[in-house]
Amino acid sequence: MGAMEKAASYRFDLTRYAWVRRLLTSRWPQFILRAVTLAGFMLVILTGFIGSPVGSRNFAVMFVWIAWWSALKLIMLPFGGRVWCSICPIPMPGEWLQQGWLVKPGGKKFNLGLRWPRRLRNTWLQSAGFAAIGLFSALALTTPVVTAWIFVGLIIVAVVVSVVFEQRSFCRYLCPMGGFIGLYATMAPLELRPQPDLTSVEKGAAVREWPRGCPWINNPAALKANANCGLCLECLRTESGESMALNARSFDAELGQPGAFRLDEAFLSLGLLGSVMIYSAVFQGPWGALKNAALYAGSPAWWGFAAFFLLTSFGLLPALLAGVSALVRRTGNLGQPLQMVFTRFSRALLPLGLLSWIAFTVSFAFGKMAYLWPVLSDPFGWGWNLFGTAAVEWQPYLLNATPVIEAVLLVAGLIWSGRTVLKTAGQLGVRGERRWAAAPVLLFALAGTLILLWLLIG
Amino acid sequence: MTPTKIISALAKPILGLTLAILALSAPLPLPPTQPVERYFRVEASQFAYSPGVLQVNPGDQVTIDLVATDVVHGIYIDSYELQASADPGQTARLTFIADQAGLFRFRCLVPCGQLHPFMLGKLQVGPNLIFLRAVLLSLLGLLWVLWKKPLPTASI
Amino acid sequence: MEKLAKSLVVVLILLVVAVPLLGRLTTSQPEIVELRARMPENGGWSQEFIYGQVDVPIKLRMTSDDVVHGFALGQSSQPSVEIFPGKFSNAELIFDQPGEYTFYCTRWCGANHWRMRGTIVIEGPTTADQPTSVPPLFLQLGLDLDAPHLARVIPQNRPDSARARARANALPAGLTDGDTIWSNSPEALWIDLKADEALDDQVIWDMVAWGLNQQGSPGWLEQGRELYTQNCLACHGESGKGDGVMVRDLPPMNHDKMGSEATRPPDFSDPAVLLGASPALLEGKIIRGGMGTGMPYWGNIFTSEQIRSLVLYLYRFQMELTEKP
Repeated sequence: MGAMEKAASYRFDLTRYAWVRRLLTSRWPQFILRAVTLAGFMLVILTGFIGSPVGSRNFAVMFVWIAWWSALKLIMLPFGGRVWCSICPIPMPGEWLQQGWLVKPGGKKFNLGLRWPRRLRNTWLQSAGFAAIGLFSALALTTPVVTAWIFVGLIIVAVVVSVVFEQRSFCRYLCPMGGFIGLYATMAPLELRPQPDLTSVEKGAAVREWPRGCPWINNPAALKANANCGLCLECLRTESGESMALNARSFDAELGQPGAFRLDEAFLSLGLLGSVMIYSAVFQGPWGALKNAALYAGSPAWWGFAAFFLLTSFGLLPALLAGVSALVRRTGNLGQPLQMVFTRFSRALLPLGLLSWIAFTVSFAFGKMAYLWPVLSDPFGWGWNLFGTAAVEWQPYLLNATPVIEAVLLVAGLIWSGRTVLKTAGQLGVRGERRWAAAPVLLFALAGTLILLWLLIG
Repeated sequence: MTPTKIISALAKPILGLTLAILALSAPLPLPPTQPVERYFRVEASQFAYSPGVLQVNPGDQVTIDLVATDVVHGIYIDSYELQASADPGQTARLTFIADQAGLFRFRCLVPCGQLHPFMLGKLQVGPNLIFLRAVLLSLLGLLWVLWKKPLPTASI
Repeated sequence: MEKLAKSLVVVLILLVVAVPLLGRLTTSQPEIVELRARMPENGGWSQEFIYGQVDVPIKLRMTSDDVVHGFALGQSSQPSVEIFPGKFSNAELIFDQPGEYTFYCTRWCGANHWRMRGTIVIEGPTTADQPTSVPPLFLQLGLDLDAPHLARVIPQNRPDSARARARANALPAGLTDGDTIWSNSPEALWIDLKADEALDDQVIWDMVAWGLNQQGSPGWLEQGRELYTQNCLACHGESGKGDGVMVRDLPPMNHDKMGSEATRPPDFSDPAVLLGASPALLEGKIIRGGMGTGMPYWGNIFTSEQIRSLVLYLYRFQMELTEKP
């Protein structure tokens, strides 16, 4: 292995430090954080329903779509992967019903324990959920009541699913954010994996025990990818917990290695790329007709927008990538089926997607951060001043620097995806001297990058 | 590792970094322009400006008449930090010298309805250098990626 | 341990729920009227009627749910209060006479902005001296506000009251009689004067302009300009052409058939329109409104003095009139 490869696959076990392991295995820190996020969730629903209808003065809109969503995409996801899922409050009430206790599993259960239907054990429902919210995003992002209804819907569905199905089936197969977070967690520098030196005996023992202990319905002993591990840390708390490690790793550690990628994941990867382009056009562009089409749900213009959104993200982009994949397959004389070539290249485009979303967030959120201060003092928009910040006037934060930041992010995403595309091409069988055979996919990535550059800083 | 090995290992990243810095900061040969006076009548409605994109040259004296057509709207130009607000029937005028070059968004600062936070327009002063540089950087980046990178052997 | 966890969750949730409820209870004062302003399409004022008593202050706490609004009391000299979305404005009103008062929105909030009005009903004993209300001039004269009034005699140049001032001593006495000026259109005044005076046509138009100008009370020009800019410009346009932003989508006006559907306003830059209309007619249209044409009625919003200043200001689209004639 070359020096770069060695660096890329280096892992640093954070749980080798006893205090780290104690912190993670203790239930209290995570519980307290989740109790706080649950209170926040309730506050969102409350302010959404009875607070001011003016979005910029309402806790629901500001702290969900500006504070939390930006923190997720700028910090939690790129640096921690699924770390939000470990403190997410949505499944909490359902888990309490399942476990019968708040903190520790055990006790009477309200749970039918059904297994999730086999046909739906993929990300199609999550793509649908994400797309559904996307279609109403102009409405949700500006209307507190709609945000509140979305949250109410999420918690009701989560509770019902928790009572009927096993463990965190909602999180794994249904949560609209879960698909987004899971796929991009592939590039995170944090992972939960079995210790590399586990003997097969230990693995076997773990296999018997862990299916009960892993709420995300994984076999931790066989965990190879971040996408479906919700960092709930339950496996660390079982008797075989010592066999699991929380590793810090390089950003490219998982993506740089060949990895399986299903068709539904490929569509989600491209759908997210298409979504960020459309979001950029709707929210950051100067086109009023498009914004109004996205806002007035139910109007003829909105149906046109919905059709455009869905057909582009889940139709046009996959079709284009399939086309260039077929081209690469022909010119590179690859033996794998087209579906495999297509899905592997979709996986290689994940960095472009993640960095595009980060660039979009920089463009979208920085201009609105200043509204967070008044909302802290006056979450309901009733004229309160709890912390004295209610009269803080809007000011621009870093607006001068955002074009450069966005440009750097998008180019970095292109380069990272480009390298991964070439690696993938090689893994698929394109020989070194014929690297140009992978050019069509690189051009696809370049086109996507140029479109995003034009939408955000053009 | 011997010194020559270190240098050859670092050559590609260093060259890449140098090219990137050059692409981001080297002055591009641009035709010089004479500053002129420009006038724009910008109509603001829920939730867009028309015209939504204003193109001027650096040094131009720009006058923007903001005409609100339905409710009270405002205009705030990023970086220039200039603002005005107009009631329907009362045109507001902003006059300034476009001394900062680049792409600046202008936004509505007077709450004007639901999509008010997304009511945006663009002021382009001079050619969009950051966009051109980013495009250049993208092309360089791809070429860098393609240059002599050994592909791993087939493994799937 | 489990108890601790349960209590933590319960405490946090109670905090989240209790704080707003307590906040609501402790900060709401019964004597303060919470008035929410919304575009008429979204419901208008949250209260169409506000009730009060003579000499008891009414405290208003106002906010907007959508766009910028304003609050003002009709026929009152109290300054208007701006209402911003998400922010709160206060106003205190006190009335010494019972009756119905109109409050209205003062910042353009859409095409239906002028419909955003409400009523304050004040009850209580009347004091002895109430000024008797005088019916407006157009009613006294029995004018048909909807009849066509296009002038046939048109001046060559813009009538200028200042030119007539130079001949101040030679001006006819009738030109200073307020009733005469207000009851007759400029064209009618011109025709009368032409019959009596053997003067140049343009000179007589200047004298008519001078006569109108005399009717302006101090400060009329500024008052008229302000009223026109804030209330009329959006539809009538900067040059009175009837091309304001609010009426773009409406069909042009038909002078022969003043129907009851919304059309564009008349073109004040056309001499035939204004010169054929008496000040009483214009005053009447402003007071009564347009009966479905989209012209609002301002009778309970502006005082007579304000309307008169506005009427004189309108004639400026056709004549040179100044603050001090």
